[in-house]
Amino acid sequence: MSATSLRSGAQRVVAGLEAAGVTLAASVPDTWIGKLMATVRASRTIRAVDAAREEEAVAIACGAALAGGRGAVLIQNAGLFNCGGVLAGLVDLYRIPCFFIVSYRGDRRDPVYYHEPKGRVTEPTLAAWQLPYAIADRTGDLTAQVGRGIEAAEKSRGPFVLLISGEDLE
Amino acid sequence: MTARKLLLEALVGMLGPDDVLVSCLGANSRYLPHLDVRAPAFALCDSMGAAIPLALGMALQRPDRHVVALEGDGSLLMCPNVLATVAAAHPSNLTALLWVNGHYESSGGQELPAAPVDWTSLAKGFGIAHVERVGDLPGLCAAFPRARAAKAPALLVVDVAFDPNEPIPPYSERPDEIRARFRIA
Repeated sequence: MSATSLRSGAQRVVAGLEAAGVTLAASVPDTWIGKLMATVRASRTIRAVDAAREEEAVAIACGAALAGGRGAVLIQNAGLFNCGGVLAGLVDLYRIPCFFIVSYRGDRRDPVYYHEPKGRVTEPTLAAWQLPYAIADRTGDLTAQVGRGIEAAEKSRGPFVLLISGEDLE
Repeated sequence: MTARKLLLEALVGMLGPDDVLVSCLGANSRYLPHLDVRAPAFALCDSMGAAIPLALGMALQRPDRHVVALEGDGSLLMCPNVLATVAAAHPSNLTALLWVNGHYESSGGQELPAAPVDWTSLAKGFGIAHVERVGDLPGLCAAFPRARAAKAPALLVVDVAFDPNEPIPPYSERPDEIRARFRIA
């Protein structure tokens, strides 16, 4: 099945994970990430791992990478904010590729008012933590965009964050 | 109570090239370069609480290897929720050893919050399939093979002596050296 014939944005994102050789996706869900993980669970090649907290998800993905696979982390931006320590002390310190898909709660597309404070600080936090990132473009080739993010993480041996909105997954 | 070095020496003596060892920061990671470790070893020097989830990721990626995680009670007290994550993932090839000495040993020997945490009950409550408390060296030598044979997530809660004057060697390997050397065949 070609990327463009896939029905939903979630399917196109997961197709990108599969095409890039991701073997494990560790996640703490929110409404949007939960929908994405439902698609991940249908994958024949990606092991879905439910973590209780986001720092764990990062370490689990790193463990998969160190063991010869490719890990991805699927979390909300609030969860990313929890991850400063493990990003510095594991991902950066040991130079481990780690691709993130992060729901961009509180941006202008989010209809839920109480996420707004998180949206306001998301990109400034990414910049302050020196995390390379991109915002998903659902009008373009989402599958390829996921692949580019994963390759960026591999090439830099570090993190790369793809910010998504709920509408990107529709 | 038994000194950590003796317990650690006994543990690594039970590991072979087909095992994988992940160490939390502090004394474990500082001792490892001075021990005869036949298993690939990944030693953390930061990131309290990362050893068990890191080992879980390895165990899921490589079900053909038995992965052993070393964690301290101070680290696990920060994120005991990882036990639920491990129970849910239910790897058949992961054993964690929890060193219990009631202190943040690597950060100056401060005491943990004075709560009588029952780690074995906690782990069982989270759904860890195989949990044993270990009080001495013979106990560890008997319990580790049982944990390995459990074919289910295992946690050994190991009472270890706290000695503020223990001559723990300093870190002798840089993270890039640890990362470069770590390979699971």
